[in-house]
Amino acid sequence: MLQALREIEGGIQLSLNVAVRAPRLAVPPIFESFLRQVYFTGVTAATGVVLRACLLGVIIIAVLMDMLDADVDLAVKILLLLVFRELGPLAAAAVVILRTGTAVSAEMAMMRISGQTRALRYLGIDLYDYLVLPRVAGVMLATAVLTFYVQFLAVLGGLALSPFIIEATFTELAGRLFELFTPVDFYYSVIKSLLFGYAVAACCCWHGLNPPDLTQNAVPKVVTRAVMQSAMLVLLINAVFAYVVFGILFFGLVKANV
Amino acid sequence: MSELAMRYRRKSARHEIELSAPKGGVTRLHVPDEDAKAHLVTAMLKARCEPGEELELFGEAASTLAPAGRARLRAKVGAVSPIVGLVANLNAWENIALPAAYHGRPTLEQVAELARAVLGAFGADAAAFFARLPEELGVLERKLASFVRSLVAAPQLMIFDALEDGLSRAECLHTARFEAEYRARAPQGTLVYVDTQEEA
Repeated sequence: MLQALREIEGGIQLSLNVAVRAPRLAVPPIFESFLRQVYFTGVTAATGVVLRACLLGVIIIAVLMDMLDADVDLAVKILLLLVFRELGPLAAAAVVILRTGTAVSAEMAMMRISGQTRALRYLGIDLYDYLVLPRVAGVMLATAVLTFYVQFLAVLGGLALSPFIIEATFTELAGRLFELFTPVDFYYSVIKSLLFGYAVAACCCWHGLNPPDLTQNAVPKVVTRAVMQSAMLVLLINAVFAYVVFGILFFGLVKANV
Repeated sequence: MSELAMRYRRKSARHEIELSAPKGGVTRLHVPDEDAKAHLVTAMLKARCEPGEELELFGEAASTLAPAGRARLRAKVGAVSPIVGLVANLNAWENIALPAAYHGRPTLEQVAELARAVLGAFGADAAAFFARLPEELGVLERKLASFVRSLVAAPQLMIFDALEDGLSRAECLHTARFEAEYRARAPQGTLVYVDTQEEA
């Protein structure tokens, strides 16, 4: 219980520190670190892992359409409500947790254990400025871009695949999709993905900087905790966000009386 | 009696240590063990002392200083020490330039000029040296990078913590250059070598 409270307090403190220090991103080494984080989280992930995540989305569409004997309307709704709004951001968040979350938490823990964070403090370099801020900001931006990339590819893949399963052409499906699409869908996924990125990076940074002890054995413990908590936070944010914006929880299984 | 750059006193269950270093001089301090050495170097780098310790830096008692005063004193102290190691995922140049780039002074051109001059004195090829990660550098090269990074801040008190630790006999011959390079850039500066007694 105390540990949980300590983690919540630490998370709040870290979030406030990051918010207050945002203007420091303009300082050259911090900005370089930010760009490096965007590159490692966004660009390198985009080349391989995201494509596989998109294939997963396409398979889900194929199975669901076949099972539900979907028509044009249902196919487009599956693409928009399930793939665009929910699976896209979640798939991108999963990629970020598995690639960046593990890397950031392990790197931070190693820096803490090997005394590199202490060296930075002696050089008058604030750890929040140099280590936390660029990672949080970089992961947020990269997650938002990755989400858009996943959504685009998954929806495109779904549109391309659907004509083979249901009686509809690509242009018919695309036309219906643009009719149903509202700007809320876009803002919803952008804000949600920014929050996902923030939660993952902040959680991993906090755990990395606060290992249970200062031995090599602490690194796997830190990574496990960071990944588990990041995943829980992402699911929590997803559920709360869906309920607040659309009045639904768990892909529509729970609906609010609105 | 000459003015002191540093005076340190520590009373522990095992030892009682009292050390001092005159301003502008070269002093070799020997402490009983690694723990005592770590305490001494940490106290000087932090300009802060733990219970049982007393520290005066440039005539100011660390225990009575406000955080701003400690920060001011910390800026006067540099060290080549395992306590202030290099950052593993930055190459040698990024490590050397990091404090200057973060604090905005001196300029990166001035840092590069200083680094090239010091590395040249040690017979190192600056371009090749800059590009290497700490894990690709030898022990002497890591100490050299750490030394150049400290020199950039123009410290008035330079600590060499177990400078010859981990060096080969041939490399030990180069260690006198550290003192010469520091002296050339800070004629009035204070140099403190810290070692454990068994190594002395």
